[in-house]
Amino acid sequence: MTARLRAPGLPRAGFFLVLGTLFCAAIIIAAREAYGFPVFADGGITTKAQNAILLLSLLIAPLWFLIGLGAFDYWFYWAAGKKERAEDHSGHGATSWTDYFRVNTDHKVIGIQYVVTSFFFMMIGGLLAMLVRAELAAPGSQFVDANAFNGLFSVHASLMIFLFIIPVFAGLANYVLPLMIGAPDMAFPRLNALSFWMLPIAGIMMTASFVAPGGSFSTGWTAYAPLSTSAPLGQMFFTIGVQFAGVSSIATALNFLVTIITMRAPGMSFWRMPLLVWANFSTSLLVVIATPFVAASQFFVLFDYALGFNFFRPEKDGDVLMYQHVFWFYSHPAVYIMMLPGFGIISEILSVKSRKPIFGYRMMAFSLLAIVLLGFTVWAHHMFVSGMQDWIRIPMMVTTAIIAVPTGIKIFSWLATLWKGVLHLDTPMLWALGFLTMFTLGGISGVILAMVPMDIYVSDTYFIVAHIHYVLYGGSLFTIYAGVYYWFPKMTGRMFDERLGKAHFWLTFVSFNATFGPMHLVGVKGMPRRVADYAEEFAAWNLFISLSSFVLGLSTLIFLYNMVSSWRGGPRASANPWRAFTLEWQVSSPPPIFNFDRIPTVVGGPYEYGVPGHVHGIMEPAEEARPKQAAGASSAEEGV
Amino acid sequence: MDPATLGMLLFIISEIMVFGAFFTAYFFIRVVGGAEWPAEGDHLPKLIAGFNTAILVSSSFTLHYAQEAIRKDNRLGLQLGMVATFLLGLTFLFIQINEYVHIGFSPQDHAQGTIFYGLTGLHGAHVSIGLMLLAFVTIRSFRGHYSSGHHLGFEVPGIYWHFVDVMWIVVYLTVYII
Ligand SMILES: [Cu+2]
Repeated sequence: MTARLRAPGLPRAGFFLVLGTLFCAAIIIAAREAYGFPVFADGGITTKAQNAILLLSLLIAPLWFLIGLGAFDYWFYWAAGKKERAEDHSGHGATSWTDYFRVNTDHKVIGIQYVVTSFFFMMIGGLLAMLVRAELAAPGSQFVDANAFNGLFSVHASLMIFLFIIPVFAGLANYVLPLMIGAPDMAFPRLNALSFWMLPIAGIMMTASFVAPGGSFSTGWTAYAPLSTSAPLGQMFFTIGVQFAGVSSIATALNFLVTIITMRAPGMSFWRMPLLVWANFSTSLLVVIATPFVAASQFFVLFDYALGFNFFRPEKDGDVLMYQHVFWFYSHPAVYIMMLPGFGIISEILSVKSRKPIFGYRMMAFSLLAIVLLGFTVWAHHMFVSGMQDWIRIPMMVTTAIIAVPTGIKIFSWLATLWKGVLHLDTPMLWALGFLTMFTLGGISGVILAMVPMDIYVSDTYFIVAHIHYVLYGGSLFTIYAGVYYWFPKMTGRMFDERLGKAHFWLTFVSFNATFGPMHLVGVKGMPRRVADYAEEFAAWNLFISLSSFVLGLSTLIFLYNMVSSWRGGPRASANPWRAFTLEWQVSSPPPIFNFDRIPTVVGGPYEYGVPGHVHGIMEPAEEARPKQAAGASSAEEGV
Repeated sequence: MDPATLGMLLFIISEIMVFGAFFTAYFFIRVVGGAEWPAEGDHLPKLIAGFNTAILVSSSFTLHYAQEAIRKDNRLGLQLGMVATFLLGLTFLFIQINEYVHIGFSPQDHAQGTIFYGLTGLHGAHVSIGLMLLAFVTIRSFRGHYSSGHHLGFEVPGIYWHFVDVMWIVVYLTVYII
């Protein structure tokens, strides 16, 4: 037992978590005693002191947990002045399921850890959505009160955004990106492992807010001040959870950028990179630049809440609108953080499945970068009715409309890629096409919302809910499904059940539209969002929406069953079942433990499908890949 | 470019954005809020803080001296430079804390106090992290690590320390001078 508590791993992590909580309790009790605040009252600790201990534990105890897990072991070793030790990859690979529950530095293991964890939280978020829809099935109060209802949709949105869409893309890219560029691993494997392990911390924290005194946080995922600075303690589970998710996401983005810039195989120039790599390059830039703003905004809330600072107290000259500016300066770019990696996935799949080169490869890459730049110039379109200065509205309306241009370039390039292609309408392709149609609808309602008069009219109605679900569900989630099906053979070495995959697609596609399509209508008619009750006139549509949403929820179970059963007993996958050019398909499924037995050499573009004799990568080092006489000539030179 | 250096530079971009968010808060409170500035009687000790700025900036030079020393395999120079840098940084932190004690207003008093403590405190936290890194490097320099051909583990924390110094100049100019 003591041996297990000494070795890095989950037992030691749990033990350290307890120690960390006691440590926080000791600090709070000592500090309150020292400053003469009451600590003990009638045999117990006062509520205020309890809350303070809980708050500090939220901040500090997770670090103890990570130390116990062994995520910092090497850095402690380094800090003690010992000899440097390059990552020797001795911890690579997973031989049994328990290897997924330790600090593992293998990008392939981490990728799967990411994907499975995010789908776990997606299921919780989905269940919360089912509860929301159950409450909304009829007017009046069904089985939760108004405050609990606010908690349900707040935690739903926060989990879906911070624990599902953002990290699942990081997970997929973690798995395939190093393979695609011909690298043996990510640039910083230990940092990669640390990034992953902060994720379950954030997720468990947000989910656990339901048991917090005063109920879960109920301010929406936007947590506007001063609502959030005067909320019960559950709010802090969001405020601090976001910090962990944010640090995790910045560290991963940094890792991707360094990996892409420094670890490409010989011959893999920037203009030969698959578009998924370009997409993650752009996304990582956004994360590195924008995510610090959400961290700062939540620090402001934390300081106002816990220490009585005055960032958002108007009576002390604080500025309430400043929260929204800082928050949206992150959260608008965040919608591209949640979309650009999906664009990359779609580019891969559409090209492979229509057996044609991607149309306008360079324009596809440039439009990603254009979206990154423009994404920083539009944040105040979320604030048209906030009471900010009127003159900001028109410029933000114009820049928002302009973003439709690079996005449109992508849509039309995809259409042109499909044009006269030999379409293989299997599961990944169906999802890709589903994305193309649904995301275009979401994009159109987005441009409608950019128009100031229209935005004012439908502000805080179900039109907004419809729009966000068309871009995040019909957009992002459809690309995630497409990507998971597409790389499932590579990640697991097994084929999924094609029949179930198609059933999953069609059931989801139909029930998705039945759920979110009518929301446009009730929104335009004025049904407010984020309210547990509504007027009688919306009853029929809402019942329809709720029933559709239950079908939508059930359709996800088909996916789960397909994934689990295929992973356990599906037919073995060949190395390259889709006949793709990109490097990840040129190695076995699943790939060897160090990805490439020999460093590959890239000699052509990634998408020249249908071009006779085209080669993207050769599985040989550069010296040997050269034509014979050249090799002879160079060795002759060496001889001299 | 070397991965560790590139990683540090990207991390510094993130750090600059964190400061950017705090500066955003500062200018919203000061300019958009339109309250009287500075608040009644709360004048900041420009001179002492200026002196402190000089201390921190000089630590960048001692760090550079240490760097030049290790490039010539001058171990004593490296150790002297590192110890001097560390002590200068520590002095800066102490003077800053002393300023907090004597300044006469708290972050709870008004938004100006909040953002003053917010910005200088954020920077102080960075100085602390920087000092931690410097301490590791100093320990390593006494344990015989680093040489003219191998001093990346010295350079990368060094970049961070220079960033902390430059950031202080911006914070000082914004908070104390303009
Ligand atoms: Cu936006």
